[in-house]
Amino acid sequence: MTASLPADASALTPNDVRTIGDAIAGGQPTLGGPNAWADRKLHYNLVSPLNRHKFRIIVVGTGLAGAACAAALGEQGYDVHAFTFHDSPRRAHSVAAQGGINAARARKVDNDSLARFVKDTVKGGDFRAREADCWRLAEESVRVIDHLEAIGAPFAREYGGQLATRSFGGVQVSRTYYTRGQTGQQLEVAASQALLRQVAAGTVTLHTRSEMLDLIVDNEVEGGAARGIVVRDLVTGRIWSQTGHAVVLATGGYGNAFFKSTLAKNSNVSAAWRAHRRGALFASPSFLQFHPTALPLGSDWQSKTILMSESLRNDGRIWVPVQPNDPRAANDIPEAERDYYLERRYPAYGNLAPRDVASRAARDEIEAGRGVGPLHNSVYLDFRDPLARLGRPVLAERYGNLFEMYADATGDSPYAVPMRIAPGAHFAMGGLWSDYDLMTNIPGLFVGGEAGWAYHGANRLGANSLLSANVDGWFTLPYSIPNYLAPLLGTPVLADDAESVLRAVAETRASVETLAASPGTQGPDRFHRRLGEILYAHCGVSRSAAGLAEGIRLIRNLRHDFQADLRVAGDADGFNQELERAGRVADFIDLAELMCIDALDRDESCGAHFRLEHQLGDGEAARDDDNWSFVSAWERGPEGTYLRHQEPLHFESVQPETRNYKTS
Amino acid sequence: MSSTVRTHARRPLLSNFVCKTVMAVTGLIFSAFVLVHMLGNLKVYLGAEHFNDYAHWLREAFEPVLPYEGLLWVLRLALLASLAGHVACAALLWRRARVARGPVRRRSLPWRSFTARTMPVTGLVLLFFIIFHLLDLTTGIAPAASGAFEAATVNTSHAYENLVASFQRPLVGVFYALAMIVLGLHVAHGLWAAANDLGATGRRFRQVAVVASGVVALVIMLGNISIPIFVLLGVLK
Amino acid sequence: MKLTLKIWRQDSAAAAGRFESYSLDGAGEEFTLLEALDKLNDTLVETGQVPVAFDSDCREGICGSCGVTVDGVPHGPVANTPSCRQHLRSFADGSTVTLEPFRSGAFPVVRDLAVDRSGLDRIIEGGGYVSIDAGTATDADAHQVSHETAEAALDFAACIGCGACVAACPNGSASLFTGAKLMHLTLLPTTRQERGQRATGMTAAMDEEFGPCSVIGECVEVCPAGIPLTAIAGLNREKLRSVLRGKTS
Repeated sequence: MTASLPADASALTPNDVRTIGDAIAGGQPTLGGPNAWADRKLHYNLVSPLNRHKFRIIVVGTGLAGAACAAALGEQGYDVHAFTFHDSPRRAHSVAAQGGINAARARKVDNDSLARFVKDTVKGGDFRAREADCWRLAEESVRVIDHLEAIGAPFAREYGGQLATRSFGGVQVSRTYYTRGQTGQQLEVAASQALLRQVAAGTVTLHTRSEMLDLIVDNEVEGGAARGIVVRDLVTGRIWSQTGHAVVLATGGYGNAFFKSTLAKNSNVSAAWRAHRRGALFASPSFLQFHPTALPLGSDWQSKTILMSESLRNDGRIWVPVQPNDPRAANDIPEAERDYYLERRYPAYGNLAPRDVASRAARDEIEAGRGVGPLHNSVYLDFRDPLARLGRPVLAERYGNLFEMYADATGDSPYAVPMRIAPGAHFAMGGLWSDYDLMTNIPGLFVGGEAGWAYHGANRLGANSLLSANVDGWFTLPYSIPNYLAPLLGTPVLADDAESVLRAVAETRASVETLAASPGTQGPDRFHRRLGEILYAHCGVSRSAAGLAEGIRLIRNLRHDFQADLRVAGDADGFNQELERAGRVADFIDLAELMCIDALDRDESCGAHFRLEHQLGDGEAARDDDNWSFVSAWERGPEGTYLRHQEPLHFESVQPETRNYKTS
Repeated sequence: MSSTVRTHARRPLLSNFVCKTVMAVTGLIFSAFVLVHMLGNLKVYLGAEHFNDYAHWLREAFEPVLPYEGLLWVLRLALLASLAGHVACAALLWRRARVARGPVRRRSLPWRSFTARTMPVTGLVLLFFIIFHLLDLTTGIAPAASGAFEAATVNTSHAYENLVASFQRPLVGVFYALAMIVLGLHVAHGLWAAANDLGATGRRFRQVAVVASGVVALVIMLGNISIPIFVLLGVLK
Repeated sequence: MKLTLKIWRQDSAAAAGRFESYSLDGAGEEFTLLEALDKLNDTLVETGQVPVAFDSDCREGICGSCGVTVDGVPHGPVANTPSCRQHLRSFADGSTVTLEPFRSGAFPVVRDLAVDRSGLDRIIEGGGYVSIDAGTATDADAHQVSHETAEAALDFAACIGCGACVAACPNGSASLFTGAKLMHLTLLPTTRQERGQRATGMTAAMDEEFGPCSVIGECVEVCPAGIPLTAIAGLNREKLRSVLRGKTS
């Protein structure tokens, strides 16, 4: 926590902030490609139906990955305890995903296939993902759609009655399944219903308004093992322990470190971060995606950058005025004086260029003074042409609720004037490191969904996040967790008064009480806002060594201020949202430092991680496969020092190449 | 909070569904009754002889299959049972709604729901009206009935004279007219609610039901109101 | 702009509550109602007071976390719009705005403006799900669903579970919520199979905590998802159907 402050920040080099550790192995099957997952499943241990109730599994988070995993394990007969800090499982932030979910079902004759899905995903992630995992993602995507449709997600249908699909960024086929602009909501509601079905059946015990504050690791076991969590009941303030045979963290991404992001206000990194502090490796923390179609900031008190679905780029055309600081209203600018820069720079993909490319291009235009809107911080997304071509009813059916949401937030109708959009912090490609079986380096600790890292490399393709959460929850963890549990048959869970349990609970109580007694003058949100500003400025859409070093210095200063001047209003024993926020902000500050360290360390550009020092002549990212074709997995040492492990990446099916969205 | 502790409240003998279905069915019976009743009432415009003959016919109808006044008693018993069911279920549901709403009242939203919100009040007014109406024109008990009331005999009916005499009292005439407005409001929402309670989900059917509820209520109201008004104006005497 | 916020303060479910007035300066018309509360809380913390507790999460109108009663109307003055998408432009500069929690016997106050809506989840537990285990579903392309049917199902599935319908109902009924779920699952072929027992189970669970419906219709005035009153007729239809048929399907 208390790393020393260097006198001259620009002198910070990677060697000042980290040491380099050993290589680690991802544990993927040696048999690569399309057969890997089937082969792995064949070799998994099984637990007999009669024995399943003897195993207690803790699932933290009830988003798509968590609810699915808890429901699927409950259906099999395990004793599942599910935790959410929300008042209802349905509110997890998966609910806010809009555009759709990819599946390589390849029913159309547009030449989609499992292999093409893998190629798109690996290439989209700029060759920093584990290829074997992407094959699993592709293969299981097929029945994800079947299952979700069966449990209640009313996917859009064509007039002929078959499932409808649309296109998303970074892809030239149509493989995105959707329900209007509320796909995440429909999937999340379906998954939470499946979870509540198991609650009613008695296999799942659901703990709402219960926040995980620590991981219980049993060090009596050789190599340690995750055997429980420490929880705070957010209503009563009671801090208690839940022990089990395995723990699954499906607690979402950490984009909210940027304060103004597309995430929900309460989304946080704390569960994953507390596990990291207990020894779990954290992979690629600097790989954070900026969504190109978020709403621009309008006022200081705007609480977030509301997301506008990427699906809008199917029809909307992105442009800026050719003339910098053009004072005219959008509709007064003639066609000849508009620069449709994505269509110009990336003719093959046009407005459907992948997110990192689109965000960076928007940032280029804004920084060149061609940004639009009162603060010149946005670009136009124009529906004039599709409106003329398709008519208002068609657009209303495709994007009605998004247009309404936009009009509501800004007071402008996208039918009348172009929307204004800007890049906003969005999805975390990084997360807790896990092997091919989704188990972290702590045995018994599994990770699912956005809290993990494996599929998306340095940039996630649109509509792959809902897919990865579902594949993890429904069709990966229910196979890999029993494999871990089977040899543990007959092992009791830790007693509530076991030494490691009591110690973890006592430590948590002490830290909560310390936090609650903070004597300063400013609430946690003030520090969070400052953290966001630091990250946007120094670890944002584009980064530099000097900027990152300055970012680390500012974050360390901020931590110092936080410890000195935090005030937590209210008491520790009761419903106290300030206390919840204070704990989360403390973790965000630590995470933000690691993000900057990882970004400073990774001396190349790849995907969303764009280092100004590493670009090709035309401003494209310059990846360095010779030196950086690995995933960084960070171990936290004493006093907030960091040790970087690396998992080398192997590509068999998709050969690394410079990404090209211009001609192919 | 955890889901482990769940207390099951004891399920009541008459579920909300049963109560609402009883209210919907009995409400439809009442609506049909008041519609037919109103149509019969309109015979008053054909003169005393026609009206009294109609009243007498009601007593003799279906003789000899039914005994004298048989049809009337069948109807009376059916209506009485409906009334008991309708009122009892209304009271049960009203009580449960108050408990469920909790202690804090909230401001009501616009006029759209006026008829719905006033159902308990209009229902109580109608209950009082029914008692008055029976005392006035069926049993002829003062002070509800006028001093001129003459009971029906096996051979004759004095329905027309009784009606005119009753309505010629201005307060009673006005009360009848106001009661019919209340009836209209109650029937208008009642029919629409019955359509919903009995599961009318079809788009067309719902459009028809919402219009029909209003039209039937309006027709019943106007048809009946016209009689005391014409009596008070001296047209009917 | 300047507003006076009259806010319900209550320390816990067991404690008595009271209104307290706060002055909010320097807010803009473009603020959402919840951003105004954020700003007020920032000031309260700065001045050593306890901030106002309220639930909110996505701030995009989809998660259903937020919900306060504004001048007596659940969610706020703009119809069919959740609290997070209500803007201060609805209020005159200098006016007084009263903020209370959602009011219903089934929604005990947790603290200040936050309430416990877990009763809605217990209705879902009563049968608002589909009994198909992971991996056992048939090919979703193997059956046709008409475009219209899918869209109609989505109209009912749009419910965000905020509980405003219950708070708006003079009877404290959850019929709109329950009916929306029944209609959503009944319209689609794969989820229709257990409609009989679903209707029975969900209505029984609903009746345990919530009031009966009198088709008053205030719920549809506030519903952020625009669920139509047809949902309630659907609830009754499904229940009636299950009683008449006496089957689970």
